[in-house]
Amino acid sequence: MDMVLETDRLGKRYGGMWALRDCSLHLPAGRIAALVGPNGAGKSTLLHLAVGLLRPDAGSVRVFGATPHGNTGVLTDVGFVAQDTPLYRDFTAAELITMGGKLNRRWDAALARDRLAQLGIPPDKPAGKLSGGQRAQVALALALAKRPGLLLLDEPVASLDPLARREFLQSLMGSVAEAGTTVLLSSHLLADLERVCDYLIVLNAARVRLVGGVDDLVAEHRRLIGPRHDGGPIPGVAAVIRASHTDRQSTLLVRVDGTLVDPAWVVQDISLEDLILAYLADGDAQASHEAWGVPA
Amino acid sequence: MIWLTWRQHRRQVMFTALALAVLAALIVPTGLAMRATYDDKGLADCNWSEPVSDACNMAINQFTNQYESFTLIGILFLVVPLLVGLFWGAPLVTREVEQGTHRLVWTQGISRWRWALVKLGLVGAVTAVLAIGYGLGMSWWWAPLSETNQFARFDPLLFDMQGVVPIGYTAFAVALGVFGGTVWHRMLPAMGITLGGFLVVRITLAVLARPRYAAAETRTFPVATFRGDRVEQVGEWVLARGVRNPDGTLVASDAQVGCPPGSTGPSGGRCGAELGLEPGAYNWQLYQPADRFWPFQWIETGIFLALAALLLYLAVRRIRRIA
Repeated sequence: MDMVLETDRLGKRYGGMWALRDCSLHLPAGRIAALVGPNGAGKSTLLHLAVGLLRPDAGSVRVFGATPHGNTGVLTDVGFVAQDTPLYRDFTAAELITMGGKLNRRWDAALARDRLAQLGIPPDKPAGKLSGGQRAQVALALALAKRPGLLLLDEPVASLDPLARREFLQSLMGSVAEAGTTVLLSSHLLADLERVCDYLIVLNAARVRLVGGVDDLVAEHRRLIGPRHDGGPIPGVAAVIRASHTDRQSTLLVRVDGTLVDPAWVVQDISLEDLILAYLADGDAQASHEAWGVPA
Repeated sequence: MIWLTWRQHRRQVMFTALALAVLAALIVPTGLAMRATYDDKGLADCNWSEPVSDACNMAINQFTNQYESFTLIGILFLVVPLLVGLFWGAPLVTREVEQGTHRLVWTQGISRWRWALVKLGLVGAVTAVLAIGYGLGMSWWWAPLSETNQFARFDPLLFDMQGVVPIGYTAFAVALGVFGGTVWHRMLPAMGITLGGFLVVRITLAVLARPRYAAAETRTFPVATFRGDRVEQVGEWVLARGVRNPDGTLVASDAQVGCPPGSTGPSGGRCGAELGLEPGAYNWQLYQPADRFWPFQWIETGIFLALAALLLYLAVRRIRRIA
């Protein structure tokens, strides 16, 4: 399968703090990938590395097989919408489209105009006077007008109200589905992405916690409820992700690698949200306890 | 990219042009009036290096009284390069980063290197035109005042506002602003560092370095024959003056003493005895000759242009690392 984005032990450091560390992942072509993690997990850093705004301090990142930093060849094929959808505030939407035409070799101005016309966004109003949702749509139109093979969106819906969020994601999906564009969009809110994404990358505390197709991930995880468990191996279980215990009963979230035959366990399917929360909870507290110098 | 630069800065260009027009409206009429007075009073025919005729002295006093206040206006012009640095240099990178638009423009299809080149090139060209116009305009404006030698163009402050040095100062201020913006990504610190850095470098060079661009010359003349006439040539820059005893010890600084034959001190003793002057004492001056004005202008301009080039090089290097 073609890999659009590949990272190998990728790391980025700000001063002494690693914003991203040992990040190895692949994003296959044609996927709509969600990059999920709490604020400060390294999502923006990963996206900035992928679009070449940042240079890695460790490891490597490849987009369409090339290193993106300082590489305008890669930029041609990558559409990027930064966090808070920055636009020149005194430029009108029409002027922003003109700007894109001047700065890009491949530029589909008609596509951008059609989109914005359809969405009812005025062409002659300064971007600073548009609503947050309209600004996000203009930024997306600018990214799509490059007709990119890879579209990177950094928290595109974070500042939008629920209705604008839904509209934004719908219009995004509508346009990338036809073109077969690979999309990587980050969010700290899963609910937004669950409906539209078929690939998942979970980041937490600068590290990758989970990568894979949504269906595969959901299929290989189960919740087990049974008598209190002492931590011994369970046939068919590859790893226990998260365990909670009462006096008599244990609830385990596990990754399975075979058939669960032990009748002592009640096996339940889990939702994507539960799965992500389980991976996010893991390792979160440890660093904080160290930072505060208190025992965990 | 050129379109983008123009679109981004066109309002700024308009305001700058407006400010220039206001300055020109101040400079041109007063400059013409000054010239008219200069010619009316016949000052052009006076010879300032010989003992000056009474008519010329009277005319120059009248002229000076009338236009003395203009030196203050002239000194206000010293801040123009700084203002250009604050309002053209500092926002260049800072405003992009503050509004996050660097992530928009640097992820289009052109490299940051090209972005920086075009932006700095165009902004540099505009500010260079500005500075040349300013320098030449001020030279023209000042010419009557400096020709009368009441305000020599070589003197500190007057030197700084005419000729080619404003080009160096402006380029330096803009480069400092751009560099400051790449280090501190906020407008206020970037402007602060431009203001502080500009003043420190300008004052340091003007006070410590400029007198030493070339070895100063020394002039001595005996106390015994000095009658208080002007000994300096028109347009030269006197760095220091004083009175020395024959053995070379400095008896009084910032002073010149004349003891024409037959004169006595206040208490009736030998002239200069109260000051500790021994017979054979001489007046002493350290000066830069007037013909060094242009070499000094070029040296100072060169220093500031070199500093500007260094700062821009560092700024471009830093731009490549901003995310």
